[in-house]
Amino acid sequence: MANLVSIGQPAGHVEGPAKVTGRALYTADVTLPGMLWGKCLRSPFPHARLLSIDVSQARQLSGVHAVLTGVELPEVRIGRFLLDIPVLARDRVRFVGEKVVAIAAESPDIAEEALTLIDVQYEELPAVFDPLEALQEHAPRIHEHPDSYTHPPIPEAFLHGGVAEFFPSIPNVVSQVFYRHGDLGAGFAQADRVFEHTFFVPSVHQGYIEPHACVVSIEPSGKINVWLSDKTPFIARSQFAAALGVPEDRIRVNPVSIGGDFGGKGSLMDSVLCYYLAQHSGRPVKMVMTYTEELMAGNPRHAAALTLRTGVTRDGQMTARQAKLVFNCGAYGAFTPLHTVHGGVHAGGPYRVPHIEIACLRVYTNTVPAGHMRAPGAPQTIFAVESHMDMIAHELGLDPLEFRLRNVLAEGDPSPLGEHWQHIRCKETLLAAAQAARWSTEKPPHVGRGLGMYDREPGAFGPSSATLSIDADAKLTLLTGAADTGTGSYTVLQQVVAEELQVPLEAVMIIQGDTDTATFEVGAGGSRFTHTAGLATLTAARELKQALITLAAQRLGCVPEQVQLQAGHFVVADGHSLDLAMLMAWAAEQGAAPLSRTGSYLPTGPVAITCFCAQVAEVEVDPETGQVQLRKLVTAHDVGTVINPLTHQGQIEGGVVQGIGQALTEHLLVQDGAVTTLHLGDYKLPTALDIPELTTVLVETKAGPAPYAGKAVGELSNVAVPAAVANAVFDAVGVRLTELPITAERVYAGLRAQEGRQ
Amino acid sequence: MRTIRLQVNGQPVVREIPDNRLLVDFLRYDLDLTGTKEGCSVGVCGACTVLLDGQPVSSCIVLAVIVDGCEVTTIEGLAQGDRFHPLQQAFIEYGGFQCGICTPGQIMAAKALLDGNPYPSKEEIQTWMMGNLCRCTGYYKIIESIQAVAKGKVAP
Repeated sequence: MANLVSIGQPAGHVEGPAKVTGRALYTADVTLPGMLWGKCLRSPFPHARLLSIDVSQARQLSGVHAVLTGVELPEVRIGRFLLDIPVLARDRVRFVGEKVVAIAAESPDIAEEALTLIDVQYEELPAVFDPLEALQEHAPRIHEHPDSYTHPPIPEAFLHGGVAEFFPSIPNVVSQVFYRHGDLGAGFAQADRVFEHTFFVPSVHQGYIEPHACVVSIEPSGKINVWLSDKTPFIARSQFAAALGVPEDRIRVNPVSIGGDFGGKGSLMDSVLCYYLAQHSGRPVKMVMTYTEELMAGNPRHAAALTLRTGVTRDGQMTARQAKLVFNCGAYGAFTPLHTVHGGVHAGGPYRVPHIEIACLRVYTNTVPAGHMRAPGAPQTIFAVESHMDMIAHELGLDPLEFRLRNVLAEGDPSPLGEHWQHIRCKETLLAAAQAARWSTEKPPHVGRGLGMYDREPGAFGPSSATLSIDADAKLTLLTGAADTGTGSYTVLQQVVAEELQVPLEAVMIIQGDTDTATFEVGAGGSRFTHTAGLATLTAARELKQALITLAAQRLGCVPEQVQLQAGHFVVADGHSLDLAMLMAWAAEQGAAPLSRTGSYLPTGPVAITCFCAQVAEVEVDPETGQVQLRKLVTAHDVGTVINPLTHQGQIEGGVVQGIGQALTEHLLVQDGAVTTLHLGDYKLPTALDIPELTTVLVETKAGPAPYAGKAVGELSNVAVPAAVANAVFDAVGVRLTELPITAERVYAGLRAQEGRQ
Repeated sequence: MRTIRLQVNGQPVVREIPDNRLLVDFLRYDLDLTGTKEGCSVGVCGACTVLLDGQPVSSCIVLAVIVDGCEVTTIEGLAQGDRFHPLQQAFIEYGGFQCGICTPGQIMAAKALLDGNPYPSKEEIQTWMMGNLCRCTGYYKIIESIQAVAKGKVAP
């Protein structure tokens, strides 16, 4: 792979000019003639029967064009995989914030005034908020007939050899998955000591600054135009069509910029309801959630209770692990695009664990429905795994680094679940992090260092495609159906095209098509895009290049095999050559322009490679107050070819700071079932003042499934930070926290308890 | 209803508006300047930052009637034709944004900083910018973008 021109060069986002001038169009910016505003009345109760709804006064308010209740809508349930959430509550509400009535009016003010005129009578029902309580036989049943809910077949690629079941006969359990490898009993029999610890991770919100929004307009022909803050327009179209029971080609999902995703922008959210408001009012309707609604009723990360039991030999080798991971699904499972919370598969960590059993449960409670967020399930699982590792090391009298080094995966080792990966760089990555953090050097009093590790495979699922065209002016345009959520995915595609056709980046335009004009593309998610869309684009570029070489051969009077593309020129051995502009001008005369090729890629299954990440946090703890200051953070990554160093580093940095938020400040606080951190003053995202000195180390191996041997990076750096910080706090002051976030109050309580013991 | 007269991005504007009209809605929906974004709606996230007589304000908690007689600058007013403001150029070159939703607010806040303090220290940048939340970048590249402008590394 010599002479890469665009690949590996830092490149600013291709959509940069639109985003720095305010021209980029986000869903909330869409305004249509005659458009109305939709708003919802939400349940104040976590669990209640709907006795009556009186909307007569709201209907009479001037400027109100539609008022809808659940019973007026078709009895349909929607979702990303499990279809269990109604568009509006019909007879019961199951969480505080569930939508009960929807209104479309000429202004947001009128819609909100109309909401105050609605009278709903509820009969409160017993509720359950804790997933462990919800499992008990006496717990209230949140869904009466969950067996009636439908879902697609569970995809083999996401089973990891596990056995999955929806709605087993355990109260309120949505799904139960067992992943097993080896012989658990034999593994524990080999252990000299067995350790068991339980951890709690509360819910956190994705914290995208753009709340969910949608606009729906129905053309006289019946064509349904949709704009929505959803990172996967084609998947949204499928879900929308299924919800309405119409063919997919009746729906056009239009391109918009996505104002932050982090996994949370992959559901229909209010858009089906918005459709019904548009249908009933005969006008286009826009709905924009307030940030309070986002925090109350978005689709935040699952809270979890995680118990790990691990057998180790006297010399610190792990022999067996049993994990029970209970994820709080909230009132509905609709916002998770799989049967389970996928990150549970990491309960073995990146270590040799020859015998393992992981039980992964999703449990209904009367709380806000949980959804996907950056490496779903992994930060919870890895907080437990990596804290547990340090707790065991402490008991064994081993340095946490040494204990990990005795157990990290090496080339040839099977993963805990029995996968066989190539190019395992676990130890190298761990050592790189330790070295950069000067792990073994002296520390001042109350300063501690902590480690965390995680690995994740590049995503390899779902079809990707893209169409590359060149016109008579030699202008290259790549048409993609994907939305760029801000990760720089368009820029990666631009670099691939520029590389293959040996043109400057600026010569390649990226256009996001609507779902009528673009070809099918799953879109961003699961660390798949650079891999799958990158390969589809690579195919399109290489096929177009071949077509151009064939044209050039015609022009130059030779056979295509004699033509080479060198530095932007088509060259024949005899010295004749022509550049792309000359070729396309000639092609236009011949009626051969524009020219286009579509590339597609469908992965056949998981790739036999993963990406390791090792992190060291250095904290200083105030022994008087328990305040934790994160001084430094080292993040080391095992990477393939880095296609765009600028955006690659941007992914790492953004992820790290999300991890810091989850470690130290973020807590979607739920009291009596209701979220109480209802604005961004109470829900504490990290600010520019909260970031530590960051050192990034890249351990490069030219191996990976993406074009030019690239890997994935988007869902790695956020995951192990909370564990690294918790381990650093223990190292600093001896206080072990098994629950996030690591607040001064909790550390203070730990310090005082310590004094009591002394 | 009340009539307000002001300058928006150097252009005179006269509009009749309801008393409770928020500046963010006035800009976005009355003037169609949708470059200003609304995030938290409570004056915390900074996405709606605009300059009011040169000072950064959260337009989601400012009533439009208050800006009568004032000069408002939004992200749309920054570039001179095709020529970006150095901050706009820097945010592209240094990766100062990802999804872009907070970017107009970040750039407006940064402009106010540099207008008053052309050579801020890193700590001064962090302190000034703490009122503008960004969930994508982790702030490092926002700070680098602003530093690049302060150090004259970006050609306008």
